[in-house]
Amino acid sequence: MAELESRLANCFATAFPELDPQEIPSVSMGSLASWDSLAGITLLSLIEEEFGLGISPDDAAGLVSFDLILHYLQKDYLQVSPEDSK
Amino acid sequence: MTMKLAEALKVVQSVPSHAPPLQVALLCGFTPLHLETFLRAHLCKLFPGRSPNVETGLYGDLIGNLQRVAGVSAAVVVIEWPDLDPRLGLRRLGGWEPSQLQDILGEVNRSCDLLQSNVAAAAQNIPLVLCFPTLPLVPVSFTALSRASEFTLELRSRVASLSAALSHLPGVRIVDPQRLDALSSSRRLDVNSDLSAGFPYTLSHASALAEVLAGLVLNPQAKKGLITDLDDTLWRGILGEVGVQGISWDLDNHSQIHALYQQLLHSLAASGTLIAVASKNVRSLVEEAFAARDPILCETDIFPFEVHWGAKSESVARILGAWNIAADDVVCVDDSPMDLAEIKAAHPGAECVLFPRENPQAAYELLERLRDWFGKDRISQEDGLRAASLRANVELQHGMEQASPGTVGDFLRQIDGKLTLSSQKLPLDSRSLELVNKTNQFNLNGRRFQEAEWQNWLNAPDAVFVAASYRDKYGPLGKIAVIAGDLLNVNVNGLNSDSSGKRRLRIRTWVMSCRAFSRLIEYECVRWLFAKLDVEELEFDFLPTARNTPMQNFLQQVRNAPAEPHCRLSRAQFLQSCPTSSHVVEESPNG
Repeated sequence: MAELESRLANCFATAFPELDPQEIPSVSMGSLASWDSLAGITLLSLIEEEFGLGISPDDAAGLVSFDLILHYLQKDYLQVSPEDSK
Repeated sequence: MTMKLAEALKVVQSVPSHAPPLQVALLCGFTPLHLETFLRAHLCKLFPGRSPNVETGLYGDLIGNLQRVAGVSAAVVVIEWPDLDPRLGLRRLGGWEPSQLQDILGEVNRSCDLLQSNVAAAAQNIPLVLCFPTLPLVPVSFTALSRASEFTLELRSRVASLSAALSHLPGVRIVDPQRLDALSSSRRLDVNSDLSAGFPYTLSHASALAEVLAGLVLNPQAKKGLITDLDDTLWRGILGEVGVQGISWDLDNHSQIHALYQQLLHSLAASGTLIAVASKNVRSLVEEAFAARDPILCETDIFPFEVHWGAKSESVARILGAWNIAADDVVCVDDSPMDLAEIKAAHPGAECVLFPRENPQAAYELLERLRDWFGKDRISQEDGLRAASLRANVELQHGMEQASPGTVGDFLRQIDGKLTLSSQKLPLDSRSLELVNKTNQFNLNGRRFQEAEWQNWLNAPDAVFVAASYRDKYGPLGKIAVIAGDLLNVNVNGLNSDSSGKRRLRIRTWVMSCRAFSRLIEYECVRWLFAKLDVEELEFDFLPTARNTPMQNFLQQVRNAPAEPHCRLSRAQFLQSCPTSSHVVEESPNG
């Protein structure tokens, strides 16, 4: 689980290089000015690339904070990951 | 292996903020999004030391974006089907009824005409890289997808015609779909991304496309020469063992790949690439093989032949001397890993590649790599003269060695040299820019120019441009030198002033092909500059480079002082040190 969080934090660090690593776990679209719609698409594309998944537009609309994305990955991604289901 | 988005972002973020910018426009009708990121990342890799900045235009307005583009070093134009008719995209609902197909074709025709005129207009000022639709066509036609319909064939034919027509324009480079297919073989269309963000590409396709586009923005200079081995490379078999009749390059002897290699080298020679042979062999046997077996790569394509039992690195050194170029500009092909390693140790800059004699597939891939290394935009008149003029240079050098030291000038006056100078700046001469960007030795400072940068500079009213062509009794050398600079009015303190009549030419670029060395052409050029431009002084934007020793030596001789940045040469100083004129000098409107 810690590995998942760390990989997600890396995606955030790449999408928002100005962000202090310590701030990442608490960041949200509302608290970060540079998190606009285009940056949001880039972030979700990085997550799709990193975890090899496709995020539906309906799900994407609700992924607006580190916490929510982490929860989404834990709930939806880990359930279907072949490695984690062994 | 295409670049990942995370890697691309890190590459872009790692560029130093103080690096000189490189402005490139990305013009498309969709949201550029990740294509912009990938393009910037690939440009960062291809232009180290520069900070590429990718400007984008308005969504859905490709033609308007083309009309507005200005002030960039190059523009990349990515055309997709919806740019030709919005009904060929996923974001507009104009109908896919069979009765509409003819109307779609008519709209595509109109869009192609608009694109043709606007691309032609933009290409007059800015180098353009064009990419025609890379995505699959939407299922608009009434036939099953495996059957090509009349509609889709006509559509593709119209786009192919436009592509062919635009390929003739100077300054336009078009992405070859075959290369893109090799790099981007997986799914290209991302329906989800297109519908939600207006960006139609999968990440892998965007990355591959950006790689090809950035490569065409760079448009690297071709390598200058290829040095090939003979046995089990140019032909199959060891000449000393199987004899002249035992070597082969044909289907019957399962050696067709050697014939293809010869065919490619013959084509390269005809395109101006220098071809030499370095072979451990018996010279007389090799001569007999070329005379009796008539290879596709003929004897006249090759200069020089280095055939003996000595080290290959020594052969390469002599060949580089005869060609007067550096190891970085050559590719050595040999079937012996040991010989290649020995060459590489002595000439680290040379590309040393193994001819995989037992593996035709790998050998074919080598042919593709060679075409890439030696690929050029167009074949110039000088390309046809290069090998012949190098051979003639050997004769010239021999003649000069026969002349006593004090009579070299007399010798040069007997070779009927004629220097033709042109100061016409427009239309832009691609050979002149090629010379500036390829020449290393007689080069004032090693500065290279993007096409748009060069054109913008020359358009300035005080910019001076001189191109020199040369011929003598040993044959024509073609266009061999380019000088460009700015005319300055100066006062007694050396500062710019409009009130003083004294003028200075600040030479910012000066290159001369190494094929033109030893003829004192550089002195004739300076003599002409003083006379024609009526300047009292030349200032040289000199910078030492690893390879411009011939330029340093010239400046040292003519100034009687070491070459240094911004060094100057007065008319009086030049008249004291210059040799008597040896050539006829004439002016031409176009060189």
